[in-house]
Amino acid sequence: MQHQIEFGPSFAWLKVQLAPNEVIQAEAGAMVRQTPGLQMDTRLNASRNAGFFAKLKAFFAAMARKIFGGETMFVNDFHGPQGGEVVLAPGLSGHIMHQVLDGTRTLFIQSSAYLASTGSVDTKLRFGGIKTLLGGEGLVLQECSGTGDVWVNSYGGITEVPINGTFVVDTGHIVAFDGDVNFKVKGVSGGLKSFFLSGEGLVCEFSGQGRVWIQSRNLSALVGWVTPFLR
Amino acid sequence: MEFQVLYRPAHSLAICNLEPNETVRAEAGAMVSMTRNINVAAAAKNPNEGGVKSLFKGLKRMALGGESFFTNTYTAMGQPGHVSLAPSLTGDMVVHHLQGEQLIIQGSSYVAAPDSVSIDTQFQGFKGFFSGESLFFLTASGHGPVLMNAFGAIETIDINGEMIVDTGHIVAFTAGIQYSVVKASKGWISSFLSGEGLVLRMQGQGRMYVQSRNPNEYGTAVGALLPPRDN
Repeated sequence: MQHQIEFGPSFAWLKVQLAPNEVIQAEAGAMVRQTPGLQMDTRLNASRNAGFFAKLKAFFAAMARKIFGGETMFVNDFHGPQGGEVVLAPGLSGHIMHQVLDGTRTLFIQSSAYLASTGSVDTKLRFGGIKTLLGGEGLVLQECSGTGDVWVNSYGGITEVPINGTFVVDTGHIVAFDGDVNFKVKGVSGGLKSFFLSGEGLVCEFSGQGRVWIQSRNLSALVGWVTPFLR
Repeated sequence: MEFQVLYRPAHSLAICNLEPNETVRAEAGAMVSMTRNINVAAAAKNPNEGGVKSLFKGLKRMALGGESFFTNTYTAMGQPGHVSLAPSLTGDMVVHHLQGEQLIIQGSSYVAAPDSVSIDTQFQGFKGFFSGESLFFLTASGHGPVLMNAFGAIETIDINGEMIVDTGHIVAFTAGIQYSVVKASKGWISSFLSGEGLVLRMQGQGRMYVQSRNPNEYGTAVGALLPPRDN
């Protein structure tokens, strides 16, 4: 499988050339264009399991992802006997990042950042602790594990930050981080007073060793700016 | 006359240089600046026809084309001049040079063209009706440059054969390409659940312009976070 990320950082899209019978999984609605030889299968956004109870479980898992994770309830698999090309794009303006998972590392991504994946990559919903439910700035994460490629999208440009010690990021600016980095969600200077007065909302404090990817724009900030103009 | 596109791709601005007594027609609201010798006339008319017929044409364009009823004409009086034009959304602009062929343009992507190009609404019948994604096309024919805008970046792609394109991502295509509106997957239910709904099956030989973002998807992503309108 070959892929190119074009038109970044403002309007990036992902172009993928699939070999015969190679499969790429993408979030619902991401398809821009595809060659006619590719087939699209739609299924619940949960692990591929057989059996009635497994399917029922998958249904609730997919629903939970939609409600809490800001993800789509369904995903599409693209594949074809002769292969072909498919182009995928997220809804917001921004960039796309590619990561390879080898089965030994995991990647945490901000819940709406998932664009596509291959192989046995699976995502699990993770909450960043009770504090994240405060103030509507919630940090809901997906933990990606397995073996294969994963592509995540951002709102704005993406900066990779190596963590060695501690590092603080506004929760609205997190795209992803390595699974072995420790993280703690808190008010910007600890107390509730600063949470309400600093205008920074919640931040995430990372520690240990690994990488964090941050985005240059914050969707909540855009919403906060647009809202007073609505009539 | 010629169009020069600056500040691509995010915040593109088109400069239209006019020879003495040359005229460019542009969508109402697109003008950013102009030289003093430019005479502006608001007209819902196509210069190639007069009177009642052109009035109906204007109304038809507004009703079917999702376009503004008024087209402004900008004429450089006596000496050279220029007009600069910008669309309302962030994104790229592209110029297609018509050489007698027809160009089919998604309604809101058309920005400007000289008098030598005639613009008409192509009746889409049920094709457009079912798509629900304001899939209305204008047909540009004649000789000369046509200026179009996009949401996001623009990919110029020459096809010979077949390609599936999402309805929200098409900008324009030459008339050598036939299109049909088809379900994204085999069944109606899975087409709906896939988030793709209806797609365009493009067949034939010609040039196609595709945009890297879908305005409806962006609106849905941001709109979902906005407070409800109080009526």
